Amino acid sequence: MINLLFFGRLGDFATQVPPTIEASTPAEIRQLLTADFPDLARELQQPQVLVSVNKMIVGWDQPLFDGSEVAFLPPVTGG
Amino acid sequence: MTTRIRIQQQDFDLAEEYQLLRQGHSTVGAVVTFSGLVRDFELSPEGSERIDSLNLQHYPGMTESLLKNIVEQANSRWDLIATTVIHRVGELLPMEQIVLVGVASEHRADAFEAAQFLMDYLKTQATFWKSVKGNGKHQWIESKASDQQAAARWDGVADE
Repeated sequence: MINLLFFGRLGDFATQVPPTIEASTPAEIRQLLTADFPDLARELQQPQVLVSVNKMIVGWDQPLFDGSEVAFLPPVTGG
Repeated sequence: MTTRIRIQQQDFDLAEEYQLLRQGHSTVGAVVTFSGLVRDFELSPEGSERIDSLNLQHYPGMTESLLKNIVEQANSRWDLIATTVIHRVGELLPMEQIVLVGVASEHRADAFEAAQFLMDYLKTQATFWKSVKGNGKHQWIESKASDQQAAARWDGVADE
């Protein structure tokens, strides 16, 4: 199973998303979410949204393994 | 170099952090500190709106390693003796402190430039997200192009 995290405004679109999913890449997760969560999927298509696997920024085709933690990160606004 | 990185809900004491930056190193000739505060308004497309509170979310574990990496980059560009980065998270009220960056070095140019670099990179790379409450509304803060431009100015700067 892959663990999912949604930060910032993405979290508001993901309140009903299950915490885990079966998928082999972040791109596939985004695809799988399209049917049930079209608004969230549209947000994830924004080019500024980054994805991390196990707390490292990666590309959308990064291979995932059982237990991977995938986080979707909108543009940061700290400081 | 001595590095202190803290992400915490509680407030920090600027005087205490300043003392920590200068103590124990007889070669320190310059200390620069920057502190960021919560304003009581936020600019929105409709103009300036008063806010009741600010909330800071972060990605535990990832934020710390990103900040550590940013401090290491600063240390490779400038001659630094001690660096402190403190960022608060959770619910904050107007006029409260949000962030502290402090740099100690032998000469002032290193401390001034490194402090600016640290803030510019923190704002554009560290995994924090701000939201505000006011007028009964909750809204996420949008990232600013001006912050991206501020960070980009360091791109072409050759390492010392």
